[in-house]
Amino acid sequence: MANVVLEGVSKYFNGETPAVYDLDLEVEDGEFIVVVGPSGCGKTTTLRMLAGFETPTKGTLRIGGKVMNRIPPKDRNLAMVFQNYALFPHMTIEKNLAFGMKIRRNPRSSIKKEVEEIAGMLGISQLLGRKPGELSGGERQRVALGRALLRQPQVFLLDEPLSNLDAALRAQMRVELKRIHSQYPVTTIYVTHDQVEAMTMADRVALMNGGRLQQIAKPETLYEQPTNIFAASFVGTPKINLLPGKLRRESDGVQLNFLSLTKRLNGSLGEKLSQLPVTEVTVGFRPEDIRLAPQGVDGLHVVSATVELVEPLGSETNVVVRVMDQVITCKLPARTGLSTGDAIRLEFDIPQMKLFDNESTNRLN
Amino acid sequence: MISVNLLLAIIGAAFLLPLIWLVDAALNPHASAALTGPAWSLSNFRAALAAGAGGAIKNSLYLAMVSTIVATSVSTIAAFALSRHRVPFKASLLLVILFLAGLPVTLLLIPIFEIYVHLGWLNSPFYTSLVLAATSVPFAIWLLKNFIDQVPRELEEAAAIEGASDLRILWGIVIPLAMPGILVASILTFINSWGAFLIPLVLDANPKDQPGAVGIFQFMSANGVVHFGPLAAYSIIFSAPVVLMYLICSRWLNGGFAFAGGVKG
Ligand SMILES: Nc1ncnc2c1ncn2[C@@H]1O[C@H](COP(=O)(O)OP(=O)(O)O)[C@@H](O)[C@H]1O
Ligand SMILES: [Mg+2]
Repeated sequence: MANVVLEGVSKYFNGETPAVYDLDLEVEDGEFIVVVGPSGCGKTTTLRMLAGFETPTKGTLRIGGKVMNRIPPKDRNLAMVFQNYALFPHMTIEKNLAFGMKIRRNPRSSIKKEVEEIAGMLGISQLLGRKPGELSGGERQRVALGRALLRQPQVFLLDEPLSNLDAALRAQMRVELKRIHSQYPVTTIYVTHDQVEAMTMADRVALMNGGRLQQIAKPETLYEQPTNIFAASFVGTPKINLLPGKLRRESDGVQLNFLSLTKRLNGSLGEKLSQLPVTEVTVGFRPEDIRLAPQGVDGLHVVSATVELVEPLGSETNVVVRVMDQVITCKLPARTGLSTGDAIRLEFDIPQMKLFDNESTNRLN
Repeated sequence: MISVNLLLAIIGAAFLLPLIWLVDAALNPHASAALTGPAWSLSNFRAALAAGAGGAIKNSLYLAMVSTIVATSVSTIAAFALSRHRVPFKASLLLVILFLAGLPVTLLLIPIFEIYVHLGWLNSPFYTSLVLAATSVPFAIWLLKNFIDQVPRELEEAAAIEGASDLRILWGIVIPLAMPGILVASILTFINSWGAFLIPLVLDANPKDQPGAVGIFQFMSANGVVHFGPLAAYSIIFSAPVVLMYLICSRWLNGGFAFAGGVKG
């Protein structure tokens, strides 16, 4: 087991645009890190540099304190689960599992014992005599996992291991992977484009976009305190509502205008904003931070809205409304009794507001 | 539909008739250029063997086997390198290789002969088989590169991260998965070397080393008279190993070999 440190790692395949740019990442020993981001953001490239299949163009890559930039994959003592599993099609499952141990010259009796043990744990004992072509996606996925586990690696690398499975199996495997990790707490770097996997499995989430690290944080921190507009809109379903806003500086503070609302920003935030040249901002509210205004309340944070779409989810209801020229999604309790065309009044939970600078897209509050 | 079938039948007959004649003549002690109908006798085969068909087949076998082993091993390693490594000017190199594959041997034979004179490699079945191998290598590289290209790279990476050396990956992953291609390349090389006439004729003047193709030719023109029966028998003996190999390998290849399951999507 070991920690993993990337310092200023960049990878250029060709020309100008880097696949990964100036990546700093520290993964602690035994930590479960999920690298998440949209397709093409450089997740696989990052993992392949760790594995040794690609050499970083710039920067340093350390595993267990040792610089790994030029160490070939076979000497890195890592295990990897490939997106497409990469099982050896001409070998039985048993041979696939035993492959690495054989290369490392483990005695035959211990190979057999360990293969059987891991197969039992993953529920694939009855498949040992078959070839990968005769297995279902979920079964292959387990075999790939088993092969990686038998490696007893310093670090586990997983590239979208669940993306080829159906929804039910994916949910089941998420739990199983976490269970395995708590049983064998090996440093794990798990790549996915699925924010749900990131949020449910990670000790910390590393969010990437366009080859750059956007934020690395605990799932709840990423959700509550996104560093920029991209981070805010990548996590959360339905997506965060982003509304155009304007700042007005006055003698005694800063005023924020959005929709029909005016909000005075006091305290340290007001002080900070009065120092900045920013006027155009984006105001973010998560759907659950908008609720129906109680009867009679006509406070500062209430707007009139027209219901456009009602999506009952059972335990709650997603309601899409129009407020002036903006479309807003809010998460309301079940059985709201609302229907399309209804006129309602909504209240914003101001303390949960996220304020972004339009130019840098960074969060201001 | 009927006319198509008829056409196919005629084409089939055109190929079949000479074969029927061949078998007929081989078995008929009084064979001529005409089809005579069955007259079962093995005397023609005895005559062919007495004329040295056995020894010539052994020589052919030696040349074909050695050149196949050499050509297939060299081509597999070269194709692996071309498929997997960054080779400078790879595209042009591949074109040159394809061009070489189409070059007639006659063009190279005189310079090779001179080189062999200098090296003292003439009249040696082993060195002759090296030239035979060389004539097959370009096409075999081309063929094998395409097969190795089909082996998913992740499989090699998966083996590498498990600690496998390059040699182990080649031997344990790439070669088994490219085996259909390697078999095809071997068969083509074998058949090419088996039928080789000019190269052994020029490079090996020792009558004891003559392969079957040269043997048939000399047998045919031995004393001015064509003995159709023994000649047909000689031909059958000479083609039997190739036909046999073809039958065995076609079954093997039909068994199918797929990458299914190793890599999804
Ligand atoms: N071998 C390669 N050669 C050239 N470009 C590549 C190569 N691998 C990846 N890229 C590019 O690098 C970027 C990041 O790719 P990748 O790391 O696979 O993204 P992700 O796994 O996040 O979807 C993409 O724009 C992709 O086209
Ligand atoms: Mg990827």
